[in-house]
This record gives sequence, C-alpha cells and structure tokens, in this order.
Amino acid sequence: MAISERPPGQSWQDTVYDKLFHNYIWRSIFRSGYPNTPRNQALVVATNVFLHLHPTRLHRTHVKITHTYCLGGLSFFMFLGLTVTGALLMFYYVPSVERAYTDIQALESNVRFGELMRNMHRWMAHSMVLLVFMHMMRVFYTGAYKPPREFNWVVGVILLVLTLLLSFTGYLLPWDQLAFWAITVGTNMIGSAPVFGTKSRFLLIGGTEVGQGALIRFYTLHVIGLPLLAAIFMAVHFWRIRRDGGLARPL
Amino acid sequence: MASAPVVKATVPTRPMPNPRARRERDEEVLVWPDLVFIEFVSAVLFTILMMALATIINPPKLDQANSDITPNPSKAPWYFLNLQELLLHMHPALAGVVVPTVALILLAAIPYVDRSHDGQGVWWGGHPKAVNIVVFSTVFAFIITWLLILYDNGTQDIIYNCASQPDKLWSCLKEGGTPGDAHHLPAYLRNVRGIQTGITWPKWTTHIPYMPFHQLKLLDSNFLNLNLPAWIVEQAIPLACMIGFPIVLVFLLRFRYGPLGVRGTMFALFTGFMTVYVVLTISGTAFRGEGQELLWPWQLKPPEGLGIA
Repeated sequence: MAISERPPGQSWQDTVYDKLFHNYIWRSIFRSGYPNTPRNQALVVATNVFLHLHPTRLHRTHVKITHTYCLGGLSFFMFLGLTVTGALLMFYYVPSVERAYTDIQALESNVRFGELMRNMHRWMAHSMVLLVFMHMMRVFYTGAYKPPREFNWVVGVILLVLTLLLSFTGYLLPWDQLAFWAITVGTNMIGSAPVFGTKSRFLLIGGTEVGQGALIRFYTLHVIGLPLLAAIFMAVHFWRIRRDGGLARPL
Repeated sequence: MASAPVVKATVPTRPMPNPRARRERDEEVLVWPDLVFIEFVSAVLFTILMMALATIINPPKLDQANSDITPNPSKAPWYFLNLQELLLHMHPALAGVVVPTVALILLAAIPYVDRSHDGQGVWWGGHPKAVNIVVFSTVFAFIITWLLILYDNGTQDIIYNCASQPDKLWSCLKEGGTPGDAHHLPAYLRNVRGIQTGITWPKWTTHIPYMPFHQLKLLDSNFLNLNLPAWIVEQAIPLACMIGFPIVLVFLLRFRYGPLGVRGTMFALFTGFMTVYVVLTISGTAFRGEGQELLWPWQLKPPEGLGIA
C-alpha cells in the first residue's frame, strides 16, 4: 500500500481519504500523490501526458503574464475548443447544397444548445485568427525567433496559414449568401494567379463555380484535412519549443 | 549558500562545476502550480468570454446561397479583406497571389536574415531605440497607406473641386464633390488609373508583343501582348510603392535614430507590414460600401457592408 502524506490513521476522515486516494486502483491511474510537495508537483507534470507538454520547472520571468500574455497557449486552447464544438456540429450538418442551409437553421431552432454551439464555434474561430496574429507579434517583438528557434518561427508561419485556411474553408459551410459570395470572391483571387490560376481554382472548388464540389471539398478539408495538418505542425511547434530550451530569454 | 564558511570540513564539499546553473535553479518556479494555475484561469476566462459572445451576438441571418443574386458588395472573410482592398488598386494576380506569397516568404525568412542572439526573450530587445522605431514605423505606414487609398479614391480631386467653391465647402465635401463642375484636376491626377485613361498614349504602347511567349504560346492569352500603360498602372506603380516606401521608411529612421542594424531594420519593416495589413483590413472591412466605394463605416448597410460573419 502506498505511503500516505498524512500522519497515519488518526481519524475516520484520514481513513476515508486513504481508502479513496491511496488504494491500488487510484494509484494505478495517478502515480504521484497529491501535488502539495515540490516532489509531487514535479512528478505530476512529468508523469501526465497532457501536462508534460511543459517542463517541470521554468524561469520566474516566464510566468509573468506580460511576458507572453498566454497568446500561444490561448490559440491552442481555441483549437481544442473548436475541435469539440466542431465535432458536435458535425452530428447535425450534412454538406450538401440541398441540406446545408436548412441544417444550420434546424440547428438553431430544433437542437438544444445548437445555436450556442454554432456561435461558440464561430467566435472561437474569429478569436483564433486574432490570437495567432497577436502571438506572432509577441514572438517578434520579444525576439523569440532568434537562434536556435529559426525553424520554429517558420513552423509558426505555416500554422498561421493553416489557421487562415481552416477559417476560410469553414466560412462556406453555412451555405448562405455571405458564405457563397465570400468564397466566390476569395477563390477568384486564386484564379487570377498567373499561369496556374484557373487550374488551381478548378482544383480547389471542384468545378468552374462554387457548388456541391466546392462544398464537399471545403467540408472535408475543414473537418479532417487541415485540422490534421495543423495538429501535426502544432506537435512539431510545441516539441521544438522544449527542444530549443523553452521560452526565449536573454543569454 | 555554497560560499558560507564551513566550520568543520570533515566532509569535503563537492566541487561545483557550474555555479551559474545553481543560481538559475533558484530563479526557477515549478510549473505546477505557478504556470498551470495561470493557464487554467485564462482558459476559464476565455471560455466565459466565448460563451458570452456566443450568447449575445448571433451571426447575420442571410438567405440561402444563390449564384444568381450577387450581393453588392460581395466581400471575402474579414481576414482576406486586406487582399480585396489591394485588388482595387492593382493587378489581380499581383494583389491576390504574388503579394501574399512574397509577404509570407519574407515573413518566414525573418530569422534567417536577423541571426544575432541580441535581445532575445525581452520585449523590444535588440535595439536601444526599438520602441521609437516601432512607433515611428506605425505612424508612417498608417499615414502613407491611408494617403495612397485616398489618392486612388480621387479624394484630392474632390478637395480641389470643393475648394473652388468656398461658400458651399462643407456640403460639397459631404456630397463627395459637385458633379459636372468645371473645377476638376486633370484626369491623369485623379487616381492611378487616370494615368492610363487620362493620357493619350501612342498606339503601339498598348500592343507590345511578349517576344518568347508570343511565339511559343506557352501561356494564356493574357500573356500575348503587353499593354504598357495598363502595366504601369496595375503593376509598376503599385510595385514601386510596395518596395519604395519601406526603403524610404528605413532611410528616414536612419536619419532620425542613427544606424538601425539588422534588428532595427526588422523592427521597422515588420511593424510597417503589420500596420499596412491592419489598415487595409480595416478599410476593406469598415470603409467599403456598395461597388467598393470608399464610405464612412456608419454609411454602410449591414450585414453585407461590414462583411463580418
């Protein structure tokens, strides 16, 4: 049986506590004890798959809010929130030109918390674009792209592009006038590229004008293609932050 | 601590190969709870903020997509309205593809140009005058971008037109100039396009064959002949502005604050770029109404006017 951090068996509360949190099953899930000692605090970060994105300790200046304003972390948090709300929206949405618009209407009127889910998804998407831009500015103005972090800045630029593309592909899905014409205008810009313009536009929207082909392509890219790519690049991004020595600071 | 006098040196103290590392350890805090707590609080705050926004503000309710009814104006999503704004002033291939591609490549190239370690991890690090450079670049880029937008909008013509009738100056400016009045600037000064349409160009200038492409027919019909006046208006002048003004900015800053160095130049160019980006986004979003006319934000008709969805 694991060793308790509390003085042994003095009252029934201690007995209950030990039974609850120091039994075989609990300890098989959470290997370290309650994080109220430095040892357990380091262990809880090191032994948890989600928390071990972090180092166990970091420099005092890096927990100052004004150093990073949590912008990178919040961008990632928006990505997670978008994944959750997006998955919920997928239950109610069929990407066909006949159904897409009415599905969104039904989502707002017939589904409990449907409108909240859609609106949360929308605001998180706008916020993520803003947060990613602000994160880029923070990294630039704190000189955090300097060696050895050059390539991680490039990965960041790729993630910025992916964020914009994710937002852009999602923009078409409600299939209303705003969506349709925004994507028409946007893809016309691509169509104006020299030499390959018309061909790349055709490839992107699966036809000569925005229709069913474009909708299914944008939907697939939006729900699986681009999030997967973004997740891969995010993994590289976070991994390299740790490998390059954590947050940048003066040498 | 380590240097405190040892009374009885029965156990020899271990040699410390790296005393600096020891000091850094003292400067460190544990991620749990110090960082995890901040992350948790910001996550909660943002969840509440998103919930509040989602409850209070609904997306605009529009009709089902219809390829037969084109709303006026048709706008891209807000983060692409900067490109749509550029589109009004230059060749579509330049505005829609070349400029964003080159901008992204230059953005990604920043760390490969600025390779020094100076000023890492410090706000405005790497140049003693960084804040001044950033403020100057922001103001410079803001003014120049708006002046260019206003120039291409023909605002100088409206002002010239109205200044000729001082008694009705205010109402004239409000109306955007009096139509048909004799007091107008020459056509080639009204906007950039005026250089093409306001000047009688010799016939041959509008029809110069691209020699290799013309014969080989490698590219599409746009690449058969060069229309020199159109090329000047749609490509040469915009390119000259986009390359020229950053150079002017860097020289002005050198004149004012002395040598900038690589990091100082980066501060200037990045700040200038971000300012232009924001100004173009705002003008494309909040100042472009029907027919992409330049209007005040309160003159736009929601929701198409704002183009925010």
